[in-house]
Amino acid sequence: MSASSVAENLRRARRGVGMSGSGSGAPRPTRKSKKFTARTWTLLAFALPSLALLLLLNLYPVIYAGIQSLRSGSLIDSGTFVGLQNYTNILTEPAFWKAAQFTVIFTVVGVFGSWLVGLVFALLLRTRIPAGGVFKVLLLLPWIVPVVVSSTSWNWLVATPQSPFPVIASHLGLGNVLFLADPVLAQVTVCIFKVWISFPFMMMMMASALASVDTNVYEAAKVDGASNWQSFRLITLPLIARTTFVSWILMTIFCVNDFPTIFLLTGGGPVNATQSLVVLAYLTVFQNFQTGPGVAIAFLMTFVLVVISVVLYRQIRKVNVE
Amino acid sequence: MPTQITSSAFSRRAFLGGAAGVASIAVLAACSSGGGSGGTSSKTIKFWNMPWGNTTFNTLDKTITTGYKPSGSNGAATYQVIQWANFTQTFASAVSSNTGPAVSSGGGTQAFQYAAQGKIAYADDLIDSWKSNGLYDDFLPGLIDTMKTDKGYAAVPYNLDMRVLWYSKSLFEKAGIDEAPTDWQSYIDACKKLKAIGVYGWGQGSGAGNFTGSHTMVSHMINNGGGLFDENQKPNVVTQNNIEAMEFMLELVKNGYTDPAAATYTSANVQAQWKAKKFGMGFDGAALNQNVGGDFQTDLVVGTPLVGQNGGKGALYFPNNIMMYTNTPSQKGSEAFLTYYYKNMAPLWTKNTGVGLPVLQSIADTAEFKANANAVKVIKEWQPISKTWASPGGDALFAGVTVADGTPAMSNFTQSILGGKVSAKDALTTLQNALKSA
Repeated sequence: MSASSVAENLRRARRGVGMSGSGSGAPRPTRKSKKFTARTWTLLAFALPSLALLLLLNLYPVIYAGIQSLRSGSLIDSGTFVGLQNYTNILTEPAFWKAAQFTVIFTVVGVFGSWLVGLVFALLLRTRIPAGGVFKVLLLLPWIVPVVVSSTSWNWLVATPQSPFPVIASHLGLGNVLFLADPVLAQVTVCIFKVWISFPFMMMMMASALASVDTNVYEAAKVDGASNWQSFRLITLPLIARTTFVSWILMTIFCVNDFPTIFLLTGGGPVNATQSLVVLAYLTVFQNFQTGPGVAIAFLMTFVLVVISVVLYRQIRKVNVE
Repeated sequence: MPTQITSSAFSRRAFLGGAAGVASIAVLAACSSGGGSGGTSSKTIKFWNMPWGNTTFNTLDKTITTGYKPSGSNGAATYQVIQWANFTQTFASAVSSNTGPAVSSGGGTQAFQYAAQGKIAYADDLIDSWKSNGLYDDFLPGLIDTMKTDKGYAAVPYNLDMRVLWYSKSLFEKAGIDEAPTDWQSYIDACKKLKAIGVYGWGQGSGAGNFTGSHTMVSHMINNGGGLFDENQKPNVVTQNNIEAMEFMLELVKNGYTDPAAATYTSANVQAQWKAKKFGMGFDGAALNQNVGGDFQTDLVVGTPLVGQNGGKGALYFPNNIMMYTNTPSQKGSEAFLTYYYKNMAPLWTKNTGVGLPVLQSIADTAEFKANANAVKVIKEWQPISKTWASPGGDALFAGVTVADGTPAMSNFTQSILGGKVSAKDALTTLQNALKSA
């Protein structure tokens, strides 16, 4: 029997599937009695206030918002029922697709950029260095500092020709670099700001995952002649895959829903260049006073987020099984 | 050892009994709190005001409000500061749930929005009563009419926000400019001289939360006899007057008279550029010199209104106002309070609380106000020629102007002009479409 077939058989065995077929040997779940006892009712009664509160705080606003997305209301008027017209209008609106495009760019750069930087710092911090704790705290600062403060700092760094970064760019012979006024550079700046603000979270996630990896595995790999790169690619990455996927899911949600990072730095400009879907939803509701279309945008965002989350969760389950 | 709850120790009957007890307490507590919070009469007038000035404004304003001694059956007044952050949501939720104020200030177009929803108590009776006590005649010319709708006066003017021409005396001297510009051509000439010393002549910004840039655009349209709305209160922006005004703006951009990064400048960035002496001239609010602060309080001065290409003058201004709501314990009480308030609000201006310009001539005539030469010039030269968002179709505001007041459509339009890569007609056509679809 070849090594690969042994591995495959072991994998099937872990899944509880027989060697010869699709589950003939798998243990059948035993059916337990589902009779509700007095104790069950009592415990349910205890849980009821919390459940009711949860429904009131979460479900009611969602249902109410769903109804609003089907109406032509404003902030002070519930308007008339328009069915799915808000959704069809939005989906045929160029501004929506432009915002969706930037949201994708912002999210992809935000997730993978912050993950890469976070992973590098997490790997570096595994080595013992003097005052390592101080470095850890300093590296956490972008995550800890309120976005209002950091966006103001970044504005100070890049906004005017006399700001430090444009001055440096000018000294480097790059001319008058307009970090926020040029549409493409504004997108780049906002994405870098997002990576800067998010990498500490990724660093913490990756550091905790790396801490759980047994060092004996690396020693064994070294004995087998594996290079550092091979150890990282074939041991580290697979062993931290589960945490990586979870962090990607969380960061995807953070990025898609990130309002302050963009709004405080550029307000979505210049000329909508950095307008993400959540900023568009906000502007539609609170500056154009069009509640229906604004909430519809938010619902479409939620739908896409749920799809992405489900796909990534399936990936996690796959990692667990293997 | 943790306590284990068992069915015998905690029966369903006991649980339900306990739950009923808790519910009763909650109900009783709710009842008692209603009465307990009393001390205020059922006819108390709730007055909500915004932080219009510096930190002393609301303190003094509260003192004026609570100093109100109602006569007859009218109720006293309570005071609440509403922060600008999310104020539209604050008012919307309060008004729609009938927990809002009886009297308030707020956004410049707020009264007209709520009037369209039937939430505003029109001020016609109040204004009529002011005709006999002198208050009506005390308002600056044309101001009260800006509040008039088909159904009546939606609000009463309270303070003025204006967009006026500012310049730096020291930079003008350095650039060899002897006289402040008086028309578009002399404005361009001054910009050219300022550029020669590395200073921008059209100091501007249209970044996050900064709508001054878009105000300036509309102000120049009005300056040339144009504007955003026609006599039917519909957007009509692709007009010859507006095209000429925007071509003037584009000329300033293309000649390098404006900061290339201005499209994304916040108010703080704009003020920083004035402080850095990078801006030598520009359009801004009537308190720019105080906002920039330091030596600039005396160095920055207000210029005279420019004569537009069509030979006329004009600018955009915002008559901020106070409105009364239908949800009041007593309409007579609301009106009595407002009469008291307007007769006693002068200290808000004479004690330097930072509030906008006054709407009453008697306040503008006080010695304290006259000490501010820039403010006096604004009231004397700019207020009479200024018009509202409703121009050129009319001067009275209406709910429809909200499509232009601080909206993304206006910001995009301004940023596209400041980018300098559009034609005036194309930019105005895009704006027209955006305003019509809003």
